[in-house]
Amino acid sequence: MTLLEATDLEVVYGSRCHECLSSTGSRAGTNQCVNCGSVVACARADLSLEPGDVLGIVGESGSGKSSLAELLALEQASEATVRGDLQYAGYDGNLLEIDYQTRHDLRTSEISLVHQHIRDGLNLEFTGGGNVAEKLLSAGHRSYADVRERVSDLFEETEIPVDRIDDRTNTYSGGMQRRVQIARALVTNPDLIVLDEPTTGLDVSVQARVLDMFRRVQREENVATIVVSHDLSVVRLLADRTLVMRHGRIVESGLTDRVMEDPHHEYTQTLINSVI
Amino acid sequence: MGYVAVTAGAEIIERAEELFEKQRVAGEDADLTVEQIDGQLGRLTDQAMSEGGLYAPRLAALAVKQAQGDTVEAAFLLRAYRSTLERFDETAPIDPSDMVASRRVSPAFKDVPGGQILGATKDYTQRLLDFGLIDGDPTDPTEAWDLPEEGDPEELTNVTEVLRSEGLLHEPDAPDVDQPADTTRESVTHPADRDEILQELARGETGAVTALGYSALRGYGQVHPTLAEVRVGDLPVRIEHPYTGEEVTVTRTRVTESEAVVPVYEKRENPQFAFGYGLTFGRNERKAIGMTILDASTQLETAAEPAENPEFVLDIVDGLDSFGFIEHLKLPHYVTFQSILDRIRAIRSRANSNDGHSERQPAESATDPTGDND
Amino acid sequence: MTELPTSSDDTGSVATDSVDAALQSLDDEGMVGYNYAYLDEHTKREVRRSMLKAVAIPGHQVPYASRPMPLARGWGTGGIQASLSMLGPTDTFKVIDQGADESVNATNIRRLAETTADVATTTDTTEADLIQSRHRIPEEVLTGEQRLVLQVPIPDALRTVDASDAANRRRHGHRNYGKMWVHLYENVVEYGEIQIASRYPTMVADRYLMDPSPIPRWDVPKLDDADHLTILAAGREARIYAVPPHTAVEPLAFEDRAFTVERFPEKSCHACGSTDTYLVEVSEELGTDDAASFETRYACNDSSFCEKRREDPDLQKDHHLERDEVQWGPMTADADAGGESS
Repeated sequence: MTLLEATDLEVVYGSRCHECLSSTGSRAGTNQCVNCGSVVACARADLSLEPGDVLGIVGESGSGKSSLAELLALEQASEATVRGDLQYAGYDGNLLEIDYQTRHDLRTSEISLVHQHIRDGLNLEFTGGGNVAEKLLSAGHRSYADVRERVSDLFEETEIPVDRIDDRTNTYSGGMQRRVQIARALVTNPDLIVLDEPTTGLDVSVQARVLDMFRRVQREENVATIVVSHDLSVVRLLADRTLVMRHGRIVESGLTDRVMEDPHHEYTQTLINSVI
Repeated sequence: MGYVAVTAGAEIIERAEELFEKQRVAGEDADLTVEQIDGQLGRLTDQAMSEGGLYAPRLAALAVKQAQGDTVEAAFLLRAYRSTLERFDETAPIDPSDMVASRRVSPAFKDVPGGQILGATKDYTQRLLDFGLIDGDPTDPTEAWDLPEEGDPEELTNVTEVLRSEGLLHEPDAPDVDQPADTTRESVTHPADRDEILQELARGETGAVTALGYSALRGYGQVHPTLAEVRVGDLPVRIEHPYTGEEVTVTRTRVTESEAVVPVYEKRENPQFAFGYGLTFGRNERKAIGMTILDASTQLETAAEPAENPEFVLDIVDGLDSFGFIEHLKLPHYVTFQSILDRIRAIRSRANSNDGHSERQPAESATDPTGDND
Repeated sequence: MTELPTSSDDTGSVATDSVDAALQSLDDEGMVGYNYAYLDEHTKREVRRSMLKAVAIPGHQVPYASRPMPLARGWGTGGIQASLSMLGPTDTFKVIDQGADESVNATNIRRLAETTADVATTTDTTEADLIQSRHRIPEEVLTGEQRLVLQVPIPDALRTVDASDAANRRRHGHRNYGKMWVHLYENVVEYGEIQIASRYPTMVADRYLMDPSPIPRWDVPKLDDADHLTILAAGREARIYAVPPHTAVEPLAFEDRAFTVERFPEKSCHACGSTDTYLVEVSEELGTDDAASFETRYACNDSSFCEKRREDPDLQKDHHLERDEVQWGPMTADADAGGESS
């Protein structure tokens, strides 16, 4: 049973005229419409995900990978027009058209997003434990002891020192803050996690440890994941399959190994060869 | 057996009022008349009118007298009185260029159509205490002036109109309602529209408006305006005549008006100035200018600083709200204080009985000895 | 935006043909120049409409145009407007502040109502049709015939976690109270229990989070499934909200960190001996030559009930009712879930 099935997804900032799609994309070499000036962040995107799958999305800045990831995580892009069809296991209808309450419930318990920028994902004034607890409390858990225990478990899972659980999140290191985000994303046992540039702002050695931790947790919990990154090594480490995006379009897709070893699209080839 | 309680019948309140009145009673000196206050302490009455939102110079002077000079208290009296009055009508919108200005300066330009008119001001003089005033000096220093014949007041071109005609001023979006809101009749909900913001600022406490405007200039904000114009003068009050339907002028109000341009370009392709506006009853230049800064600041998209956050500004700028809430702290609060004492004692006794163990034990089991709830 | 009709259509307004006449009429006639119950009819209607809306949506804050009153903002102008909009000449009115009828603020409010609304007043809770109170709910059980008006300084329970009204309104609209729950969680982390003293956040009809006003926690259970209507009014903040009769009101708490009321272990009222009422401490100097020696005694906060108890120490809080099993706050005899062990 497929977990997620997306067809013809599209995110456009601006008025969107009839020439938007034809004048943008990989061949056109731009994501900005010549006619009306709208930015076509992504278009004609199809993808599907099975439970437990890890899907990578790579591309450079402006490729549309973050827009696509946020769309799949049901984030509300307020100024953009969104189109397409998004089907999710256990829910009838197009998830892009659901009401506020269902969207909120889904994002609380089933689909988690780890934001690229810490400030969007965490409240730095709360304690680290408080940030993770918030998800549980919003989902209706009312036993302090149970909440406390689950939060401590998550701290251990994500390798954050448990004795820091009651310190303010703004006293944590960057790596620890990223781990809190991941702990928060996992705490309600979601079916799907979207990681948006998970290594942003982290030192190289810290990156490796955080990614190793996530890989372990993902395998243990078998949680489906979409990982978005400009960094090929991140995707290579985590993802079974990979999509390559450029100027808002998916230009290549396939098993990660195959895409990395034997890229078909010339852009992918450039990308792979550019890695130092 | 003594029953301890704080009692204060009506009699005690009356006594307190009488004591307060005693402070004002002239005793052997001559009682200040309302005309004296309006005439010789005009700034006080102007401030009371501006914060009370009611243009009535003699009533304002009476309020100032009753309040012993406390402008917020005087504004309070005026607002309370105002709320009992029947509203006959609303004026027609007035074009500020209809003002007969007794003072008009434009810092933006060296010279402007109509000229820079200093008017009555002490801005450029030194602040030296004039001991000669102790015994009073009733002579009018302008009596000796050699004035030309009286003519009609000159039309002063509004400086911002000059900028508008060149297309340099950003025009705000047209409002999507026909009538401006009346915030004395409908309470403000946020996000507030510009007409609501301007009304609240116009009635705001002078100190608050000045302080917040200062904060924006001081560095807690982006708005460093250039004043296009500051005017003091008489603005006509016009209504539709109930019989003929024509617009007629029924009276004039003295106002201070201020307009500023802000070099924050609204659009890159077609750069224009942003624009701030201020208007108060009576002469009160620092409040009008402060209002201008706050109008411009609150229109910015970002609200990075307090002066730019419309919710913050509107919440704190009203003198009667702030005065009332601050002074209400003098009311008895012993019921809630008892509740607070209960909390701190419970926490301290829990801390002591834990005997040095850290309270922050994960998954500590809860035992509540009194477990009272429904 | 609806066009509001111009002010009052009554005949009792002050003379306005000239300033002199206005000053004259006010001076001579005092309150006679004002409408019944001070406010004009239009204002009263608007306040009542807001109250009806508040009753229709329990716990939801309804904005209304709070009028300037002869008392300062912060001194109960919201409560007064609510009371004056409801009072009629046959009503009996009780006003208390901090539980006392004789306190300065209560006396002043009572004066205004007596003069402008010509109502009878009382200190006996069981005799009142309308009770306006600052920070307490009386000890004696209120019935379905009575109305309670509570004075509210800060109408939004979420103000503790976010100062922005706009953001909080969105949270209320979406029933999104996660931030308040984290606040409670962090309270327990810091202090071992929920540290909130008064203004305890409560859920009304399982839908809106409400600030019950600065009543002590002792009084919060009285709002749950009450027989009477409670109106909560904030003048400076210009909001009205309500708890209709028989509405569920539940203070926020964890299953294992229950809501607790204030405790007075082994204390009793020194005047009437009660051990089942909300007490306040009173410190007195001992009349000896000992410098700075104080004695702390406790007294019932509800002074009119205390007076009754001094006559009859066994008087129950529901003595004026004929039925049993009244649920009314901690330690009301026959209340379900009992009271504290003292």
